[in-house]
Amino acid sequence: MKDQKTMAYINLYAIFGALENLCELDDDAKALLANKKPISIGIEVKGGPGATLTFKNSKCRLDDGCKKDCDVKLPFSSCEKFNGLFEGTTTPLPSKGFTKIKFLLKVFLPLTDILTKYLRPTEEDMKNPEFFKKSTLLTLNVVAVAIAQIGNQDEIGRFSASQMMDGDVKMGIKDELYVTLRVRNHRLVAIKKAPESPRALMEFGSLELAAKLFAGKINALDCIGKGDIVMGGMISIIDNINRILDRVGLYLA
Amino acid sequence: MLKGACEMAMKTYKYDKNRAMFERATKVIPAGVYGHLGPGEGCMIPVSSFPLFSERAEGSYFWDLDGNRFVDYMCAYGPNVLGYRDADVDAAAKKQMEYGNCTTSPSVKMVELAELMVDTVATADWAFFAKNGGDVTTLAIMTARAATHRKKIVFAKGFYHGVAPWTQKVDYPGVLPEDVANNIYMPWNDFDAFEKIVNENEGEIAAYIATPYMHGNFIDNELPAEGYWQKIRKLCTEKGIILIIDDVRCGFRLDTAGSDHHYGFEADLICFCKAIANGWNVSALCGKDFLKNTVSGMTYTGSYWMSAVPFAAGIACINKLKALDAPKLFREKAVKLTDGLKAAAANNGFDLVVSGEPALFYLRIANDDSLFIHQDWVQECVKRGVFITNHHNHFINASLSDEDIQFTVDVAEDAFKTVKKRHPEIG
Repeated sequence: MKDQKTMAYINLYAIFGALENLCELDDDAKALLANKKPISIGIEVKGGPGATLTFKNSKCRLDDGCKKDCDVKLPFSSCEKFNGLFEGTTTPLPSKGFTKIKFLLKVFLPLTDILTKYLRPTEEDMKNPEFFKKSTLLTLNVVAVAIAQIGNQDEIGRFSASQMMDGDVKMGIKDELYVTLRVRNHRLVAIKKAPESPRALMEFGSLELAAKLFAGKINALDCIGKGDIVMGGMISIIDNINRILDRVGLYLA
Repeated sequence: MLKGACEMAMKTYKYDKNRAMFERATKVIPAGVYGHLGPGEGCMIPVSSFPLFSERAEGSYFWDLDGNRFVDYMCAYGPNVLGYRDADVDAAAKKQMEYGNCTTSPSVKMVELAELMVDTVATADWAFFAKNGGDVTTLAIMTARAATHRKKIVFAKGFYHGVAPWTQKVDYPGVLPEDVANNIYMPWNDFDAFEKIVNENEGEIAAYIATPYMHGNFIDNELPAEGYWQKIRKLCTEKGIILIIDDVRCGFRLDTAGSDHHYGFEADLICFCKAIANGWNVSALCGKDFLKNTVSGMTYTGSYWMSAVPFAAGIACINKLKALDAPKLFREKAVKLTDGLKAAAANNGFDLVVSGEPALFYLRIANDDSLFIHQDWVQECVKRGVFITNHHNHFINASLSDEDIQFTVDVAEDAFKTVKKRHPEIG
């Protein structure tokens, strides 16, 4: 069963967090931000997460917590309301920064539309190799952050995290992109670069394989036998991450 | 012969036919080879270094589809206790086949094996047979709940008691929170924690289930602390808690009278499987007299649970284990082997930690905290014809010879040298 609070953390940190990567990967996204003045959007979810998105020099950065000095503030009265934003059932109303509405409508929303295109791709779009690669790399980042949020928030995910020892896990797609899942005192953090000293490794053999795995079309254990996924190091950490990975599909489906 | 074997082993194996068969298997079998014998749960790292299918087996060896021979320290994860295709056990099985196996009325072999179990196992006043370890751990839990009319079960963290939903964790696929809602987990060897749990759940705990020592995966195995089991036994008796020993893995390898006997206490219920019949499929729950009526009234059975051939094999196997004084034999062989492995490691600058009971030794290279070096060494051993595994205890069988042990140490030494070349930081 989906937990609304966990969903809100995933929506904020994994989905909105992927705007960081989108603005680096996609030319249309870069163009939307070109020559724009720096602007920050604070998001505050009552009973849930808060974060600030800063757009500056055609880049995006997500920081923890809704900063007091943000230019635009989007408050949400509950996790359900915030999650409704992603389901099209909630319309955001800024409590601060009415003069920046234009940025929200003309830049921010189009950016999220581009992101949606990559994260919920059509089969036709995925036939384009360039689109396919960007979509899969973005999804890797989303999945990594979602794993961390589920491990920290979801009741069953927290149980998996409670079984983990400390260490950095190197997770990624061979010869493409790696991220770090850092475990400290049973709390997880996703870092969007490879660790220097990994304690465990989970490597997907190709973009194609990763895409199928993220789409729930293939199973990780099956891939390990075929040699399509390589694991190593502290397997007990990988084992528990795999259990959380199973739940990622529940939240991102 | 030994020289020839060593020369052959220092070459590394190829697995072309294994891989081809695995590809074939994945088309019709989930994960190709599922469970603990498969590459995923079996932690075959990398999978390309391990055999995936066997063609034949004898004594301490099995041969894979490519004709590679392995000295096998996993022993089919325990059942191979006397040596693959042991002549005495297989002769008893073949003889019984001439009379019948799976029949409408069970064979007297069932009674004879039960009598032998009762005579052999210290705490056993009766025996109930099934097929797998999980069949009898589940029966033990049901028996405890039926006898006490209580729900809760205490487990030692790091446990493995099979694959039924109650034995799994809440985050495993297909397991419901309700399946494990009455499970209480406590640290191994922590009597104070157990006492606290008992006090906090007064009158609600049906059973404490544990293996005789902590032989969990991924961690150094840990023997019971001095007096641990005696204190547990006393408190269980005082509070009406059924003490269940899961001796599926250790049974008959530490002590033919049961591992509780080995550690100087008596379980109420004790579960056996792997070593009963040298690979013929039978498991047993043995228990004290006061629980016999409870089990008599339970609905618990299976299509093949009373098959006669495994009973005949079990009788031959247990009698042979007793005649050999197998636990003593296992300990002596294991100490010789692990001393040799530790020396080979030290010769090459590796810190090889050996833990658990010698007969079920667990290995870990401690030069890094990630186990990457350990996994590298294990795969180099496997590719040279010594089948060990990364994160599970190993097993000694009675047919293991001094030549096999020497061969294993030679392979280990060669594997250490190979790994060292890849890790110049190791002194």
